[in-house]
Amino acid sequence: MAKENNIEPELHVLIVDDERDDLAILDDSFRALSEGRWHIDAADSVGEALQIAKKGKIQLVVLAVNTPVLDVSLLFSSFGQPPSQFKKVVMASPATDEMRAASLAAGADLFIEKPLSPEGLKAAFASMSELVGWVLPQHFQSGSHGVGMADLIQMECLARNSSVLELFHEHSLGRIYIEEGQLIHAVCGEISGERAFQKLFTLTGTYELHNFELPPERTLNRTWEFLLGEAVRYRDSLNARHQASKILASGHGAVAGEPAGKAAEMLICSGIGEVLYRWQCPDAAGRLVLLQEIARRAEKIIPEIQLGKLDRLEIQLSAGRAVLQPRADRLIFVRVEDNLVKP
Amino acid sequence: MKDNFKTWFAALPAVPGMLACGVRRPNGKCAAQGDDNNYPAVKIEKLLGQFADFHEPLAAAELSPRWTTWVFEYGQLRFVLRPDKWLLLLLVSPETEAAQKLDLLSEEFLAGPVK
Repeated sequence: MAKENNIEPELHVLIVDDERDDLAILDDSFRALSEGRWHIDAADSVGEALQIAKKGKIQLVVLAVNTPVLDVSLLFSSFGQPPSQFKKVVMASPATDEMRAASLAAGADLFIEKPLSPEGLKAAFASMSELVGWVLPQHFQSGSHGVGMADLIQMECLARNSSVLELFHEHSLGRIYIEEGQLIHAVCGEISGERAFQKLFTLTGTYELHNFELPPERTLNRTWEFLLGEAVRYRDSLNARHQASKILASGHGAVAGEPAGKAAEMLICSGIGEVLYRWQCPDAAGRLVLLQEIARRAEKIIPEIQLGKLDRLEIQLSAGRAVLQPRADRLIFVRVEDNLVKP
Repeated sequence: MKDNFKTWFAALPAVPGMLACGVRRPNGKCAAQGDDNNYPAVKIEKLLGQFADFHEPLAAAELSPRWTTWVFEYGQLRFVLRPDKWLLLLLVSPETEAAQKLDLLSEEFLAGPVK
């Protein structure tokens, strides 16, 4: 049986984001997803947020953190009502472990990656609704997992809930058992424990939250923060490798079906330069500097040439090529060598 | 030979999809051709100046390029640096004849002496 929530007819939400385009997207999306039942105020500065907060009682504050130097704790305490009287959500892009820890330490009830896709917005909306005990429409009771599943587990653990999260794709893929805010067991097919927990994060499907029941065994004994962090890192690493493979397969100039070359070196970092995957890359630091230099140069010329965002830089070498992709959330370097040996 | 290069360079804007092109000599002097509204010569010459030294850090990182291609959403920017320090810039729309001919034009630039 799925868990039940208390119905709240309307919710007063304050969204703070200094990126105006993102703010408009968050405002429009949450308004639509709540079917107009969220009363949303949007502020693109802290000053404006404080003015709005003075006018009425806020039940949920959504704070988009686009800069790591923002003092989340100070901001929460300046809203004119005790921080315990409203729920606090921090959205960050990129969402780093350091930011997650700092935000939770500052009193955030939920920390999530800033959603960039319709699916991500829906998952964020579902997580925030769950946080404030706001009943979702029926079609939200289960959803595709990924960002949403991590958020849901985090929320259950922070609230010291006991529950069972079950994942489906036509049939049950596995279960995660949470007891009083601690992850105690995970099972995925024939495997259990940490491997099962990590694997569940890489699968595609939907999830449902059930009332707690005792597991047949206890296979998880580390903190939920550690387990969740490792699982998300593992999933991101797999995604990044998949992305790199796609770049390799793009094979500029290669005949369809013919391999573009053999991989010689690969480096994948997070947007802030944390190495996620490294293979045959003796000078990772040098490659990272190069990626950051390319991002800097692209920023300079983008307004002038008006050709949209940079997708990648391709370097044609005498016997191969290198592809560098500096994105906000990923920095990727791939070098391939030609297959053909010239006589 | 110099005349041959001039003829070759003058013909570049006629390639369908070529938005702009430019060349920078080793002494820093530039020549550029492009749509006066979106890509005036002064803008292309500025780009050439900004990227004149870009191949050096690549070479230092053991990535000596024959050419580099900046792939944007709506176009590609190709830089070709000859060993004698002549630098060619080609700005093309994606999926056009000019985009398809980028490698060919780059090879011609690398192979053909300009002085």
